[in-house]
Amino acid sequence: MSDSTATGAKVRVLIGKPGLDGHDRGAKYVAHILRDAGFEVIYTGIRRTPEQIVDAAIQEDVKMIGLSLLSGAHNTLFKRVLDLLKEKGAEDIIVFGGGTIPPDDVPGLEAMGIKAVFGPGTPAKEIVDTLNSCLA
Amino acid sequence: MTNDLIQLVDIALKDGPISVRAAGRLMSLMEDQPWRLPELFHAWAAVRQGREDELSEQIPMPRLFLGITGAPGSGKSTMTDALVGEYREKHPDKKVGVIAVDPSSPFTGGSVLGDRVRMMRHATDSNVFIRSLSARGHLGGLTLGVKGVARVMGLIGCDVVIIETVGVGQSEVEVTQVADLVTVVLAPGQGDSIQMLKAGLMEIADLYVINKMDREGSAQLHTQLLSSLNLSFDKKEVTDVQLVSATDKTNIDQLVDLLDKRTSEQSSDWPALREKRMYADVSESVLDQARMLLAGELRTNPDLTKQIIEGTVTVHDVAQVLLEKACDSTQEV
Amino acid sequence: MADKCSNLEKIAEAKKAWDEGPVAKTCGRFPERKEEFVTVSDEPVERLYTPEPSVMKEYNEKLGFPGQYPFTRGVQPTMYRGRLWTMRMYAGFSTAEESNKRYRYLLEQGSTGLSVAFDLPTQIGYDSDDDMSAGEVGKVGVAIDSLADMEVLFDGIPLDKVSTSMTINSSAAILLAMYIAVGEKQGVSADKLTGTIQNDILKEYIARGTYRFPPKPSLRLISNIFEYCTKSVPRWNTISISGYHIREAGSTAAQEVGFTIADAICYVETAMKAGLKVDDFAPRLAFFFAAHTDLLEEVAKFRAARRLYAKIMKERFKAENPKSWMLRFHTQTGGVTLTAQQPDNNIVRVAIQTLAAVLGGTQSLHTNSKDEALALPTEDSVRVALRTQQIVAEESGVTSTIDPLGGSFYVEQLTDKIEAEALAYIEKIDELGGMVSAIEQGYVQKEIEQSAYNYGQSIESNDRIVVGVNKFQVEEENTIPLFKVDETVGKLQTDKIAKVKADRSEETVKAKLAALTEASKGDDNLMPFILDAVREYATIGEICNAMEGVFGQYTETFN
Repeated sequence: MSDSTATGAKVRVLIGKPGLDGHDRGAKYVAHILRDAGFEVIYTGIRRTPEQIVDAAIQEDVKMIGLSLLSGAHNTLFKRVLDLLKEKGAEDIIVFGGGTIPPDDVPGLEAMGIKAVFGPGTPAKEIVDTLNSCLA
Repeated sequence: MTNDLIQLVDIALKDGPISVRAAGRLMSLMEDQPWRLPELFHAWAAVRQGREDELSEQIPMPRLFLGITGAPGSGKSTMTDALVGEYREKHPDKKVGVIAVDPSSPFTGGSVLGDRVRMMRHATDSNVFIRSLSARGHLGGLTLGVKGVARVMGLIGCDVVIIETVGVGQSEVEVTQVADLVTVVLAPGQGDSIQMLKAGLMEIADLYVINKMDREGSAQLHTQLLSSLNLSFDKKEVTDVQLVSATDKTNIDQLVDLLDKRTSEQSSDWPALREKRMYADVSESVLDQARMLLAGELRTNPDLTKQIIEGTVTVHDVAQVLLEKACDSTQEV
Repeated sequence: MADKCSNLEKIAEAKKAWDEGPVAKTCGRFPERKEEFVTVSDEPVERLYTPEPSVMKEYNEKLGFPGQYPFTRGVQPTMYRGRLWTMRMYAGFSTAEESNKRYRYLLEQGSTGLSVAFDLPTQIGYDSDDDMSAGEVGKVGVAIDSLADMEVLFDGIPLDKVSTSMTINSSAAILLAMYIAVGEKQGVSADKLTGTIQNDILKEYIARGTYRFPPKPSLRLISNIFEYCTKSVPRWNTISISGYHIREAGSTAAQEVGFTIADAICYVETAMKAGLKVDDFAPRLAFFFAAHTDLLEEVAKFRAARRLYAKIMKERFKAENPKSWMLRFHTQTGGVTLTAQQPDNNIVRVAIQTLAAVLGGTQSLHTNSKDEALALPTEDSVRVALRTQQIVAEESGVTSTIDPLGGSFYVEQLTDKIEAEALAYIEKIDELGGMVSAIEQGYVQKEIEQSAYNYGQSIESNDRIVVGVNKFQVEEENTIPLFKVDETVGKLQTDKIAKVKADRSEETVKAKLAALTEASKGDDNLMPFILDAVREYATIGEICNAMEGVFGQYTETFN
């Protein structure tokens, strides 16, 4: 649980879909399992630009950004999100990703600063545990 | 103790992207530790030292705190989005703030806040600040957290702050404690619109918006609304009813004009009201802090609850014990 | 009649005895594997089905005969004994040149129709050099910016010999216009063209997300296409009303049928409101469904969809032409059923799904490749997927008789149940003021989201097993070769746009676009205006922008 009863603070996570694909089943599902795990999830919807996602994340003061993408544009768009975060002095925000991402691309994404990549079929528990350990 | 706040306020009042970050942080602080709201006033005073020519004596307040509420499905988010667009067009140099409140899960305390979905076109507009809040429902509930966030919106120079609340439960009543004007949104095809009015929304509305005016049934709803207002409503101020279609942005300009008109007519009453609210907020902060201290003591002494049930002590006794313990432990710190 | 009834009573009595006797005894000693058995859509499944009175009593009304109302058993009198389904593999990637090569390969391998996948910028109407297209060009399909690309895409493929299906929705009118223009250049007149455009905008709002304009102008464009094709492209399927993406987004089988037919109702009403006669356009309406692995539920789903649609077209819309009653559909095996774990297993899943589609009476079929949970398919994996269809067609024997599962006690009862549930969704949507209103209120999206969540939770809790995912897992290295799209496609397309713009008459293009904008404000059919702009090599982005100024953009609803 990410509930700290002493202060009422919740971990805030933004879930966004950069790029143009509209397959939001995975993004919505992750939003709901994070809600079930006690997170406060800000959902942005589909077809968002990296600029919109980063600006929203900063205003919402989230600890983490989850990016879902199924179109294959992850190498370009995930990088753009990381670059913008750096530009705006928010590189401490943890970025993770998911969707149709070929395993070969994962090391490259991790090297650029994506903290975790969750492929299709990743159990909810594994996602929540990984995110909690990123926060620790 | 206030140092973190002073630092954040200082940065939030500077230029560039880092100030947005600081404002976001301040809002989180107000939300997570709502009882610290009064510290915001101290922080302002501290930051103002040395920046007197630049900063006003009191924390700046928006021209208007606008509450928006209504039944789910009436199109509140779409209307908020349209209002933001229209305000930005009419007052291009002014900043708009939005606080969107969604319910949280009663089981896990978590939530999915989706009001931004409708408003993402404003995400990269540096003169729009949107913040999603969940009605966390504990430690002072919705209001104090929202009040804190609303104050920060004022501090960073928002001219108008729109507070959009979930149209169910207590929040639409609580919004009246923050908002200068409350707008109730109704839409045809929402069978419960008139029911909601009867259930108490009427008392809090300063004006009504009938959304989806292009839909079948909007004229009927309009008539129904006017007749129920005449029959059962006896308020001094004129209550306005505006028909709009938020999706097509029809009549949103008229709505903004109406809001501007109401603001200039009524705002002379608001400084006194707002000052009263500030005192109320500070009292609430104190009570909140006290309740937290006592709750902490009670958690560490579960026997006390047991003794009440067994009948060996009274509730009043335990309350006193807790007060004493809380005083002791505070002194130790 | 009396005999039959007493017969049924005898069966019921015998079943009761069986339940209380052998079944109770066996269950007492060996409990069944689960307390409750359900389909993949959470429909409860009984231990044994026995004849159901209505199937016996109302055979002609409920089932009838293939090629006849209500088409429960199939839309053609001879079905696959006459002609097999069209094996249509969805393909397209990178540039028009690359995709053209893949199409020629597929035709050589025995594909009998083309199915074009466009990249997302093309589907939404952005040019490849638009900021919004960053990283997306050529990724999930071929990039088409202007008629020049379309000419290359069909180079050497005679449009009077091949039927082409195009997965295109918000920009369907533009791509259809380009196809017509390519035909003109090949000397093939529009009345000879055969194929399908997906053109189903409602499910884009519900599930797939490649919308551009709000519902009202989008529906107008669809009506315009109906009207234009009725007159000028009579052999074209003007829409493929798609449950596939609704299912992919997580719906149940009954929701897939209910929401898809509710979409169809909205299109029919829109066209009729625009003054078209139902029997003029309804025969060209086609459908598109998913085939999942729960074989018998899927067969029942297809049968239920056919019967329900026929009744609605006949009774609600008073269509008189039997072709207007027929639900003809394309099927794709379920993309979401593929697992990234142990990808070879997907071949088996796809084989079962192929059977479901064929036993359900599909008119055409795309089979997914084993590697599609990870990336676009390689040429080798596409061949196996196509071979799967060919094995079912040539070796399995299921094509020799029509509707071989008709009369199965279970399948008939499940058909009734799915039909009833789908109808209940349609009634609920009517109550909400129709599909557009239901979408704007987020009702349909929320229902699907809830089903997807329930399904996900049933896997998390191991109530439902997905082989290789939550049971029978192995440690595996990712060694299967994956298809990679060249990252330089964006640059290639940008250069092509520059060349096209240098070679065309800027003034003429501007005039054609201005005329389109002007027409968008009124009530004229926009197809001729779009076709005019396309012929002058206006880009897809320019054409969409010309309309967007009048129509505006759609924003999704999230509750």
